[in-house]
Amino acid sequence: MSEPLLTLERIGKVYGAKMALHDVNFSLYPGEFIALVGMSGGGKSTILRLIAQLEAPTSGEITFAQSDMVTRVMFQNDRLLPWLTNVQNLSFKSSDPTQQARALAMLDTIGLADFANGYPSALSGGQKQRLALGRALMADPQLLLLDEPLGALDALTRRKMQASIAKICHDQQLTTLLITHDVEEAARMADRVIVIKDGTNIYEADGAKGQDAATIGTVAERVLEVILNPATPARG
Amino acid sequence: MDNATNLTPPRQQPRIYQFKQLLPWLIPIALILLWQVAGSLNWLSTTLLPTPWSVFQDGVSLWRAGELPKNLGISLYRALMGFALGASIGFFFGMLNGLSKTARGLFDSTIQMLRNIPHLSLIPVVIILFGIGETAKISLVTVGVMFPIYINTFHGITSVDPELIEMGQAYGLSPKALLTKIVFPGALPTILVGVRYALGVMWTTLIVAETISSNSGIGYMATNAQEFMNMKTVLLCIVIYALLGKASDLIAKLLEAICLDWQVKRSR
Ligand SMILES: Nc1ncnc2c1ncn2[C@@H]1O[C@H](COP(=O)(O)OP(=O)(O)OP(=O)(O)O)[C@@H](O)[C@H]1O
Ligand SMILES: [Mg+2]
Repeated sequence: MSEPLLTLERIGKVYGAKMALHDVNFSLYPGEFIALVGMSGGGKSTILRLIAQLEAPTSGEITFAQSDMVTRVMFQNDRLLPWLTNVQNLSFKSSDPTQQARALAMLDTIGLADFANGYPSALSGGQKQRLALGRALMADPQLLLLDEPLGALDALTRRKMQASIAKICHDQQLTTLLITHDVEEAARMADRVIVIKDGTNIYEADGAKGQDAATIGTVAERVLEVILNPATPARG
Repeated sequence: MDNATNLTPPRQQPRIYQFKQLLPWLIPIALILLWQVAGSLNWLSTTLLPTPWSVFQDGVSLWRAGELPKNLGISLYRALMGFALGASIGFFFGMLNGLSKTARGLFDSTIQMLRNIPHLSLIPVVIILFGIGETAKISLVTVGVMFPIYINTFHGITSVDPELIEMGQAYGLSPKALLTKIVFPGALPTILVGVRYALGVMWTTLIVAETISSNSGIGYMATNAQEFMNMKTVLLCIVIYALLGKASDLIAKLLEAICLDWQVKRSR
């Protein structure tokens, strides 16, 4: 395999008296789609925040292949700017005309071309998430970090969004880290599924990206078993 | 039956809309008419309560004599100067304390303490310090306007959604861009609430200041007329206050409609 895009080594994070992470180790390789799954409070979001450099680890080291890597986060809630129109939300960083043109093209890609001059408050939940995804893609990121982006959506919209995200990430050869509670979503979308439990990565499985429903089901089943097993198994 | 109810609403809607627009004017117009009729039929003593028409005529003759434009002009000047100064100071400290924890620690508790002094109680102090010149009136308005603008700017800045700020940081906005693209627009609705309130304070303060100590302005016109038992001019001044108050409210609303059109569109 090629050089990793980034590597987490013996990462620990402490908030006051609370140890959120300890001894987290894994690498992300260019172009791959990784899913982090695990119970609530296990430390998934904390890992994402450290990779996005929104916070610094208490111990351990994150090594990036390049220092100027463009990373974009798509948060659990859309975090759109309510005072900007939908197209302005995509190009909010700069007002230069080439960005405007790109924003319009991006609206087309995410299927919101008809909503350019409306405000986010008039969009449906799924449309807002698509706009947030579009905003994350505007910078041509090398690394896309998705923290439960589909958590608030109904099952049908969720399946549609999974397909759009998978297609965009595949087409643009994006390295993607997806956090989710949904083991089936993880199995369906990822090349690799990493289970986070009690602040550390306890298990790793090959995902079933692009494979049939039965394979997806088998992977999901196995991952769920690991998450629910009270005895922490040895690292896979 | 069903068909009829389905067909009628589009036709009726414009008429309902017009009627709704007229509704707020109904009571004021009725009252003025009643007052005029009562005066004309001598139900009321017109020396104590002149009719609306004679108040209007008084206004016209004072305008022609140049008295009204002069006093109106000076009052507007004081109001605007005081507002501009007070709003700038309030906005400056509101931004500063909203953005910097150090500044907040240094200034906020002092400002909160001063804010609790009713600013009209400063009138004797201001008269002793500045006499009854322009500085006195303008500084009173300044003090009155400063606090509501400060409070709302400060509150607006500190209550901007921290998740939006984090998004801005994660998306690589510089501190300056963060301020102009996220913090300020996020605080603007609250700041404009302060502006609207401060405009009200501006007029009240000015009226009181001009009534107590002045030799020009609308407030002075009223006090002066009172000394000559000239009820017409007193009433005229009160009507002018009402109109000025309404005008500044409209300006505030217009400002909100321009700056916050995204909120207007949502509520529709
Ligand atoms: N800023 C913080 N201050 C204190 N404790 C924190 C902070 N952020 C996270 N924690 C704690 O760290 C632990 C891991 O939190 P994290 O948000 O990473 O979990 P998660 O796996 O993302 O959970 P969920 O699936 O519910 O989002 C939790 O116990 C949480 O209470
Ligand atoms: Mg989380």
